[in-house]
Amino acid sequence: MRRLAVAVPVLALVLAGCQAKKAASPPDGKPRTEAGKKYVIGMSQCNRGEPWRVQMDTDIEEAAKAHPEFTVLFKDAQNKSEMQQSHVREFIQQKVDAIIISPKEARPLTKPVAEAYDAGIPVIVLDRKIEGDKYTCFIGADNVKIGREAGKYLVELLGGKGEIVELKGLMTSTPGQERHNGFMEGIAGSNIKIIFDADCQWLEPNAQREMKSALSRFPKIDAVYAHNDPSAHGAYLAARQEGKGREKTIKFIGIDALPHEGVRYVKDGLLTATFQYPTGGKEAIETVLKILKGETVEKTITLGTRIFTADTVASGGKEL
Amino acid sequence: MLGNYRGVIALLIVFVLGCFYTPVARDTGLPIFLSWRTQLDILFEYCEYGLLATGMTLVILSGGIDLSVSSVLGFSATLFALLTIGYGWGIAPAVAAVVVCGLVAGLVNGVLAARFRIQPFVATLAMMTAARGAAKLVSGGIKVQPAAQPWYRLTEDTPEFFRWMTTAVPGIGMQPATILFLICILIMAVIVKKSSYGRKLYAIGGNEEAARLAGIPVARVKLQTYALCSMFAALAGIVNCCRQDIGDPEAGFTFELDAIAATVIGGTALTGGRGGMMFTLIGVLIMAYINKILSLNAVAIDRRMIIQAVIIVVAVLIQRQKRG
Repeated sequence: MRRLAVAVPVLALVLAGCQAKKAASPPDGKPRTEAGKKYVIGMSQCNRGEPWRVQMDTDIEEAAKAHPEFTVLFKDAQNKSEMQQSHVREFIQQKVDAIIISPKEARPLTKPVAEAYDAGIPVIVLDRKIEGDKYTCFIGADNVKIGREAGKYLVELLGGKGEIVELKGLMTSTPGQERHNGFMEGIAGSNIKIIFDADCQWLEPNAQREMKSALSRFPKIDAVYAHNDPSAHGAYLAARQEGKGREKTIKFIGIDALPHEGVRYVKDGLLTATFQYPTGGKEAIETVLKILKGETVEKTITLGTRIFTADTVASGGKEL
Repeated sequence: MLGNYRGVIALLIVFVLGCFYTPVARDTGLPIFLSWRTQLDILFEYCEYGLLATGMTLVILSGGIDLSVSSVLGFSATLFALLTIGYGWGIAPAVAAVVVCGLVAGLVNGVLAARFRIQPFVATLAMMTAARGAAKLVSGGIKVQPAAQPWYRLTEDTPEFFRWMTTAVPGIGMQPATILFLICILIMAVIVKKSSYGRKLYAIGGNEEAARLAGIPVARVKLQTYALCSMFAALAGIVNCCRQDIGDPEAGFTFELDAIAATVIGGTALTGGRGGMMFTLIGVLIMAYINKILSLNAVAIDRRMIIQAVIIVVAVLIQRQKRG
């Protein structure tokens, strides 16, 4: 048994080692000045449990492929701010050339990011802001705008009146609040009434359950506005399971438009529309490139959104 | 004790391997793992889990389990932030209030488990849900931070105490949060080893019926144990709040699993009655080191989770062997 106690850490580290050889070999002892500049970029993702964030990593990876001189070290904080704080500290110790971070939370990461910035490492902040101005560049989309566009679209779709269900994201999170507030702006002045709403915490099973309650309470529902596509999909499934064919009459609207999620649902005719929440992964790599070349970059880059409907899905959506 | 050595040897092996599999700083070429800073960071990063594991060890020694520590942590972090940032309380009364709330949560756990004989798993599961709800309730469903509400008194910044807790003390190099954890676990180690409370704890965990027949006040000892466990969770909540610079009602989610894992990996038996506080310290360090090594090397999450699972299974296997 004592052997086992030894074997486990060995196994752990051998596995870790294999990975290290692949991902972290460039920093091993090779100074940057040696033949052909090599750059190491540290990427701290707050939670790869969310498909949208996996997509962000994928976008970064794809964009970095075009630049063989870039090595990106991907780290996943598993939805823990403290883990992300250590990522940043590790990147500083390792003296990476740039840090890309998509923070779980603003305040906890403000200090570590400032330390990296003060240490002369450019920091690109993706999606969620940090406080103060000690970072190089923030790239993010505008949830209020997306919510507003969704609201305006729904007003048009329903001819200015109707009874709808809102399936919210985690309302203690800023995106949840912003997607709600924007939507309220979008439907302001119309006769659209939210007859049922619930905090589904971004989760499809929750949305499905809440939608079932809504369906059993209200004989007439014109549309469902969900804060993300999985929730919209969950609502669709709930309507289909009801067995009254209401999934065909209710309009389901989602947000995020990931290729394998929302966009596919629209293509398959499950959702009426989805609004893209861009990851900014590609833009992050472009920005790093500019910074390393010595060009100046904007402090804030705001990404636009695209709407995907049955008509536009084939052509990659429509810019809003 | 052989068991002690076993843990220490495993820890040493992890450490040695950490020395080999480490990225190096790109300017100096020195291994990052070996830097003093990294070593202190490892302790600092795990001190919340450490505090939870300290309390968890007591409960597990008594033959119980406490799933509610994660939510009590979240509630305490939220309450502490609310009192200091929202209502402008001083640090001392805020700490006292949070610790009292922790004790109350623990007493409820204890009453449910000891007096009403609800299985600890179920009783603390209920508390886990209730405390998370309470965290959202007191904060009004938002994260407590300066200017989060217009009527917050201290709107400019978080109290200086938050930074003090998480900034290394000059000369020692350790953060007060880390020192708090080390002091707590060392005091509890002495109490568990030397005091009559400790002896009763082992007796109850070993054989509750025999302990009862021997005249040990089982219910009272259990009450104390659950209260202490939640109190440590409350302290962990305060540390969490200082570290995050925010009172997050979602804080600590799933931390109870890490606390249980650290306790079990250290060698304390889930069946109760065997193990000890120093085992848990070793367990916490093993977990912390392995996590740090995997993180430093940017090991992808898939591998990492499998490695962690293997470690837990093997730790339990070792535990079972010792029983025979």
